[in-house]
Amino acid sequence: MSLRCFTGFLGLLACAAGCTASVSGADVSIQDTAVKASLEVWGWNIAAASLEKLLPTFNERYPDINVSIHMSGTDMQSRFLLSLVAGVGAPDISQLQLVDAPRFGPSGRMMDLTDLAAKYEKRFSPAFWRNCVHNGRVYAIPWDMGPCAVFYKRDLFARYAIDPDTIETWDDYIAVGRRIVALSNGQTRMLALATQGLIGTFEILIQQVGGGVFDEQGRIIIRSPENAAALEILRGLLTSGIATPVDVFSHEYLASLQNDTIATYPMAVWFGGSIKDYAEPTAGNWGVFRLPAFYPGGLRTSNLGGSVLVIPEQGEQKEAAWKFVEYALCTEEAQLAQYRNFDLFPCLMTTFDDPFFDEPDPFYGGQRVRRLFATDIEKIPVLNRTEDWNQALRYIGQGLSQWHDKRLDHSAFLQDMERKLQRRLGRDVAPGPSQ
Amino acid sequence: MSQKYHMSLRHRLWQNRYFYIFISPFFTIFILFGIYPLAFSLYLSFVKWDGLTPATFVGLENFLTLFQDDEFHASLWNTVAIGAIYIAPMFLLAFLFAQILNSERLPLRGLLRTSVFLPCITPMVVIAIVFSLLYSAESGLFNFLIKVGNAMLPWGKIDPIPWLESERWSKVSVSILLVWRWTGYNMVLMLAGLQGIPLQLYEAATIDGAGRWRQMWHITLPLMRPTFVFCGIMSLIGTFYMFDEVFVLTRGGPGMSSTNFGLFLFNQAFTDFRFGYASAAAYTVAVGVFLTSLIILRWRKPRTD
Repeated sequence: MSLRCFTGFLGLLACAAGCTASVSGADVSIQDTAVKASLEVWGWNIAAASLEKLLPTFNERYPDINVSIHMSGTDMQSRFLLSLVAGVGAPDISQLQLVDAPRFGPSGRMMDLTDLAAKYEKRFSPAFWRNCVHNGRVYAIPWDMGPCAVFYKRDLFARYAIDPDTIETWDDYIAVGRRIVALSNGQTRMLALATQGLIGTFEILIQQVGGGVFDEQGRIIIRSPENAAALEILRGLLTSGIATPVDVFSHEYLASLQNDTIATYPMAVWFGGSIKDYAEPTAGNWGVFRLPAFYPGGLRTSNLGGSVLVIPEQGEQKEAAWKFVEYALCTEEAQLAQYRNFDLFPCLMTTFDDPFFDEPDPFYGGQRVRRLFATDIEKIPVLNRTEDWNQALRYIGQGLSQWHDKRLDHSAFLQDMERKLQRRLGRDVAPGPSQ
Repeated sequence: MSQKYHMSLRHRLWQNRYFYIFISPFFTIFILFGIYPLAFSLYLSFVKWDGLTPATFVGLENFLTLFQDDEFHASLWNTVAIGAIYIAPMFLLAFLFAQILNSERLPLRGLLRTSVFLPCITPMVVIAIVFSLLYSAESGLFNFLIKVGNAMLPWGKIDPIPWLESERWSKVSVSILLVWRWTGYNMVLMLAGLQGIPLQLYEAATIDGAGRWRQMWHITLPLMRPTFVFCGIMSLIGTFYMFDEVFVLTRGGPGMSSTNFGLFLFNQAFTDFRFGYASAAAYTVAVGVFLTSLIILRWRKPRTD
């Protein structure tokens, strides 16, 4: 048995890169030579590549700000944490997962961006902005987001004569799934849903229906009727025989992109980038329909993933760092370029007015998927995360496994989770309807 | 006298200064990366620290919390359960392979020894990919074999096993991987142990009319005791601090059915940023492992009749 323990195994959290968009040129001047600096920026995979591609246009405006992008691996978060602890070595700007923003923000180690960013607030998705704010102070700027929809394979839907437009609610979705499973003699399942991956789907569902784990004051609100409704949908997906127990982004899952084992993928917009990476030959065979609603007329989108940029307080070139963040995330030009080049869906909602969103996308058989993803984004309910989010999600994920395995009752499960979260996180339970 | 001694010590240090300089890299590195982290971790176990905000002294609170933390208890239970499932078969197989590969007459011995040892130097990521395919509920090899078996046998049908999907099977799945991966390592240790037994003992026993089994029972097994104890202690420590096997195969799931102590530590420290609490847990378990190792060491001395 190996003596190696866990040192060296860090990170892993880098999953969804995001997207970006931005509002029109706004306050970014034509050319500014007053600021001279040499900046270091940390980001991961395509997000870092996306920033790299922005540099020529950024330097047209700020010729004396030299930016160097460091594409980090999955250990970026731990390196970032260590550099903050040490007080030296942090980059001038760093990417963070959206879910980590509420943890790093209140630490006092991030630059307070409140005054600089105030004018941009209204242009960003409120569901995202809320997670960048702590006690009324802004510590991060939203970059990309993950509006959700359902990716489907056109050939399979055509083979079984299914019109995706007829799927309006989750009940419709399950009914279509049953039909596909029956017509394919069980060879094709509607979706992949493994026990380990229940938490991702649960997060999509609770945000769609307006449920949550914490309220604005960080109190526990897990015992809500909305969360129970989300569990009911989840149970329907699990027990109707339409799901195959394949974990998201496992090898089987990625292989399924090019075979007939799975028909649809309820996922965030960045999943399109993964399809292009892993199943490029399937271009043209993909379509997207909006996330099924909980009830007729209900909200048909949600969010999963996304990232932000932060400026560590220890940096000595914060003014220049802000100029870069402002350009990359708060201008429509830069955000649209990142969406166009790297599939990073912009949090900056003013980009949605651009004609680019209405262009047909050949990868999706000419469908105008960008407009589909942008629809109703402003209606996505806020999911308050707090610095305990990852911990809470792990507990809920563990609980969901038991809930599924033992077919636990929804309200008993949520009550149990409330008790566990209260004890383990030391947080109060919010009074009100959830009681 | 004392002054003379000190002068003499200083004189000796100076005289041997080059030797000290030559051995100093080890001690510098050992102090920096061995002693310092241990001492700092001990300090951390008495504070509450998320790595970002200043640490606050909490006395024994971290240790007291451990007693009420069902996640900690579950991880310890999982560790013991996984150890109980895999260690015995792994030892048996390792001993069997060591016996076979110790035979003088076996052709291609070097190649076979390398083959058995190979799994423990294979990168874990590669192993994870292969095993996740073997364990796949829908299209994995193991379940395919079960289906074939069901088709061939008219009775005793077995349902496909949700290897990684079920809380009941995840520990078994991890244990099978552990047996496969670490049998070779233990085989090498046991082979060394077997080769350390003087051949004269077997010759004398043969002359006295002792058969193979009797020789095994009265010579091999008693003299192998120190090797077994060493392998046992290594496996004990390895089971507690194992990380990569569990992490890449199940991530501790489903639920926390396969979360062992190593993964629990990782979650506390690097997911939850509870460095103080993780240090307290690490020290508590380290003391437990140390005491258990001492008990196991009591059986170390070889016994012969």
